[in-house]
Amino acid sequence: MLIVTVSREAGSLGDEIAALLSMKLGAALVTRQLAMEQWLPEIANKYELHMLEESPRFYLRPASCGISYAAYLEQRLRSEVLRGPSIIVGLGSQLIFADAPNALHIRVTASDEVRRSRLMQSYCLDSDEAARLMELGDRKHKRYISMLFGKDWSDGSLYHLTLNTGKMDAEEAAEMLVKVVETREIRKQSALTQAVHSSPAAGARKPPAFKHPAEEEFARILDMYSIEWEYEPRTFPVEWDAEGNVTMAFSPDFYLTRFDTYIELTTMDQKYVTRKNKKMRKLRELYPGINIRIVYKNDFYSLLKRFNYGGDTKE
Amino acid sequence: MRKENQHKILISEEQLRNRVTEIGTQISHDYQGKHPVIISVLRGGFYFVADLTRQLTIPAHIDFLAIGVYPGATSKTGVVRITKDLEVDISGRHVIMVEDIVRTGLTLGYLYQHLESHKPASLNICTLLDNPDERLVNIPIKYRGYTIGDEFVIGYGMDYKEDYRHLPYIAEIIDVKR
Repeated sequence: MLIVTVSREAGSLGDEIAALLSMKLGAALVTRQLAMEQWLPEIANKYELHMLEESPRFYLRPASCGISYAAYLEQRLRSEVLRGPSIIVGLGSQLIFADAPNALHIRVTASDEVRRSRLMQSYCLDSDEAARLMELGDRKHKRYISMLFGKDWSDGSLYHLTLNTGKMDAEEAAEMLVKVVETREIRKQSALTQAVHSSPAAGARKPPAFKHPAEEEFARILDMYSIEWEYEPRTFPVEWDAEGNVTMAFSPDFYLTRFDTYIELTTMDQKYVTRKNKKMRKLRELYPGINIRIVYKNDFYSLLKRFNYGGDTKE
Repeated sequence: MRKENQHKILISEEQLRNRVTEIGTQISHDYQGKHPVIISVLRGGFYFVADLTRQLTIPAHIDFLAIGVYPGATSKTGVVRITKDLEVDISGRHVIMVEDIVRTGLTLGYLYQHLESHKPASLNICTLLDNPDERLVNIPIKYRGYTIGDEFVIGYGMDYKEDYRHLPYIAEIIDVKR
């Protein structure tokens, strides 16, 4: 299902563009307001909702349902996108769906001067008040992404496209995005047909620099079944210090794009597996919507043995 | 003449008959008015699909797929390809893919992608045996006969070096390790 994530600076018209795009594509519009009014009240009381409005750090606390608010929100977003095409504004969606094959990540920006002038007009503010509002809004977004995902919100490499609404209006931007979505859908269909009917999906791709020969073997097995994969496409922060800096992160070896599954191979001896198991446990707690499988040494060698044993393909 | 492998029965003929009837009843209920296409993967699934479809109380089409390994241009491992493709057009139809056994899900993943490219109205999986502990590919199984461990199973269509497919029950070979 199509996912368009929209990250926007205050006063950049990101909300307006997302609403127009949702209308033009017939896609559901998911906003922070919807999350605050419909999803989070299921697990948060009035005080907790207030804290969630105010403090990104509060999202890391465990909620009454046993998982953190951040994990709950991610869970809701992941089930929401399974229901149909979705336009998601903010909520760290550009990182939650960073590697989703059907996702398009947009950032909407404009110069400070343009944004300030829009805020002055929209909220009847003077120039100083508008500048303060703008600065506060941007800071909140930045902290949310840094606190929950350990990433820089303004890092251009997180997005497919950055739109400058100082040079175009919301209607023009939305129209442009409709065209981008259409082009990507057509290209994806054609790529899928080719992958299924001709050569293995990854056959023509330049192999990545694997860190371990076992990973290369495993990639060959996936290629054998034309199952598309990416190598270490995403890093999940799993532990932070008091300042919100990431102190432990986990990058699973493979991501099976079509089946939304991460796979971690471990060919180390059992005594070295403890730290990895700890990371896995934390990952599952913090990102409960993530499908991840760990393949231990014995399982991996048993898998290899089966493939070397005269072409037993039935798996 | 090859020496007979030692094996012990895991699922008896009667147990199989009862479980297959239950799954057939469930599918008949779920697919009422949908005229599904039942697709079986050769050769392991042929007894199961034959017995299962005879328990259906709704009309259904039946087709078969087979896969094999071909030498790959770029890979030592080879490439899995369809050796027998569908004859029924499944586009816009409700499809149930019937498997004898799902372990890692790699075969299932390959076939799932193939069937999905035909754009069926829906696509669900029915497997007689499932070992979720070995699963690598995340595909939901809608109908499951039995959950098993990592036993080497034979019978009811499943083989060891092409033998034992004819056994009317499912057994574990105890003198061969997987």
